[in-house]
Amino acid sequence: MGRAIIHLNVADFAVAVERVMDSRLKDRPVIIAPEGAARSAVYDMSEEAFLAGVRKGMALRQALRICKDAFVLPPHQDRYERAMKAFFKHTLPYSPLTETGEGDGHLFIDVTGSHRLFGPPMDVAWRLRKEIRQALGLDPIWSVAPNKLVAKVATRLVKPTGEYIVAVGEEEKFLAPLPLSLIPGIEKDDFLRLVEFDFTKVSQVVSLSLKQLRVLFGNRSKFLYDTLRGIDFSPVLPEGNTESGILLDYEFGDDTNDVANVESVLYRLVEKSGKQLRHRRLAARRVALVIGYSDGLCCIRQKKADPATANDMALFDLAREVLVPAWFRRIRIRHIRLICDRLIFPPAHQLELFPQSFEKNRRQISLMKAIDSVRSRFGDHAIRTGRTRGDSCACRPRRRIVGRS
Amino acid sequence: MYAQSVNTPDSSHPACRLWVGTSGYSYAEWADTGFYPSGTPPARMLPVYARCFSIVELNYTWYQMPKIQPLERLVNQVPPDFRFTAKLTRSLTHEVEPARWRSDASRYRDGISVLIQSGQLMAILAQFPPNFDRVLKNRRFLAALLDEFDGVPLAVEFRHRSWAHDRVFAELERRKITMVTVDTPSLPGLFPSLDVVTNPELFYIRFHGRNARGWRSGSMQKQFDYHYTDEELFELANGLVAKMACQAGCGVIFFNNHVRGQAADNARAFMAKLMECGLMEKMSATGTEKAWAAPLFT
Repeated sequence: MGRAIIHLNVADFAVAVERVMDSRLKDRPVIIAPEGAARSAVYDMSEEAFLAGVRKGMALRQALRICKDAFVLPPHQDRYERAMKAFFKHTLPYSPLTETGEGDGHLFIDVTGSHRLFGPPMDVAWRLRKEIRQALGLDPIWSVAPNKLVAKVATRLVKPTGEYIVAVGEEEKFLAPLPLSLIPGIEKDDFLRLVEFDFTKVSQVVSLSLKQLRVLFGNRSKFLYDTLRGIDFSPVLPEGNTESGILLDYEFGDDTNDVANVESVLYRLVEKSGKQLRHRRLAARRVALVIGYSDGLCCIRQKKADPATANDMALFDLAREVLVPAWFRRIRIRHIRLICDRLIFPPAHQLELFPQSFEKNRRQISLMKAIDSVRSRFGDHAIRTGRTRGDSCACRPRRRIVGRS
Repeated sequence: MYAQSVNTPDSSHPACRLWVGTSGYSYAEWADTGFYPSGTPPARMLPVYARCFSIVELNYTWYQMPKIQPLERLVNQVPPDFRFTAKLTRSLTHEVEPARWRSDASRYRDGISVLIQSGQLMAILAQFPPNFDRVLKNRRFLAALLDEFDGVPLAVEFRHRSWAHDRVFAELERRKITMVTVDTPSLPGLFPSLDVVTNPELFYIRFHGRNARGWRSGSMQKQFDYHYTDEELFELANGLVAKMACQAGCGVIFFNNHVRGQAADNARAFMAKLMECGLMEKMSATGTEKAWAAPLFT
């Protein structure tokens, strides 16, 4: 049986939440951008501002030149977080399989097999939209499709308002006439490569075989082959699902560009995630870092962990390697996020070829065990590494709520 | 404030052609009940459906505006003599926004043009909600909506009793708009089941089922959970349909009791009843004989 995935998407989420709080903002161009930064960048904007030419990441000064009558607001993460929780809560009566994703106004709900209880998926989607509109004042776009990928493209297609239904088996035909820029997951380099070959539409790339794609894109060819045909088996992951990875955030009290301070915070984050991984008896195969600059711009970099690890030292080495390319600007850092994902059960232990590294690994593992043992008995602050001394701020795991859509 | 029949029954339409189908066809649970072979994806349901019935009421167009490409794909899946009716989008009946409904009407006409061009559109169904009563504001809106769809075959279904009025019937008759006859539970306030034919070219019947307990439950799965008995079907065929068939050149009949595949089951049984009554020919384009002669799921 085909799956039925509902995607709810509140366009310009941050603006939509602000408009619920202040009805005067309705029908006015609104720009959300951090205050106090010398080169503040646009974090989110209303449809009116978008139509005037304002884009995310644009310098606020430039945005205000383009859209002079725009109302500028600072981002209120707490508001967006609360709105997102309420949004999420409304979907739970229909399915426990609800994925909040980045917490930015997007929800995926798997309603496969619930037709006897709630009726056709499209009716569930329509009712959800109606309930959310009445209860929260938010007006989500909705789509029903056989998978998350197609559902997401469908809502992008009808933005800022509307709905779209794609039946099982229609995925490829649905995507074929669309521009490649609408397809999620295509990285910038792949996109530029496609443009080089004068490919602008999905149907043009679909005409290539997997073998031909491999010549152009190597390892990425299978992903592109499946994605452009609307093939996506990724499950809708409910909150707290083990596969979703570990995500930790830290917001600097004062924006900083002090390397020691940043590395110290990074180590604390690594320690926290390492502890969670070991507690869950899992290991991460990828470490990613999101750096949020004081002007609102973000940079994301990641690195594969080979072999998968839950060891603090190995994780920190990887995180530091990722930090270098992510921190390429001279702007101070406001926010840092560490993501350890692609979790697996740790691979079977294999003897090292060189006794020296084997001994080093063994000692590191023993040390980790000892530290975990002390902390579990006397608390997290009972034992600390020298690197984290002087940093009194505790990092807190939280879900990021941003106004992207 | 109404008489039962606008057009008195006569024999001026001896060859009234009847089409029987269901309201919607893409229900996953119909595979569970055996109407569709197990595992049939929604995209492959219509060709299977078309082996049993020669008309379908598209109800997904109530949820979303009809779009050309998906409709073209539907048309390509059915034989040329297959017919469609399509529900009017909710933004034109249930969630009307004064500032944008006219542009929505225009978009709807554009979207549905595929079916008009292929000659397979029997009617557009405008079904209004129970709270759409006959007050001046709503009467004006309805008149403006009918003007927007001038030239397109239109059928109007009311759920509020106040529209059962001779002046309404007369105006619909003047405009040659079909008023939908409904079969619903006997509950106060609901539009009654009338055999009034306002358009001599087409009558339109929707059998919603008679589940009085579930009707106002707010759940479609309860509201339309009903199975017509053989006696009820015979009575409807011999009474209501026979009476209306002699007043119009063509009639479409849909079963909306879709829960657990009951609509498909009742629709097939109803075609047999119509044949028994001599209202439907065995070799007609309904495909009934074809459907029963050949195994369904080969």
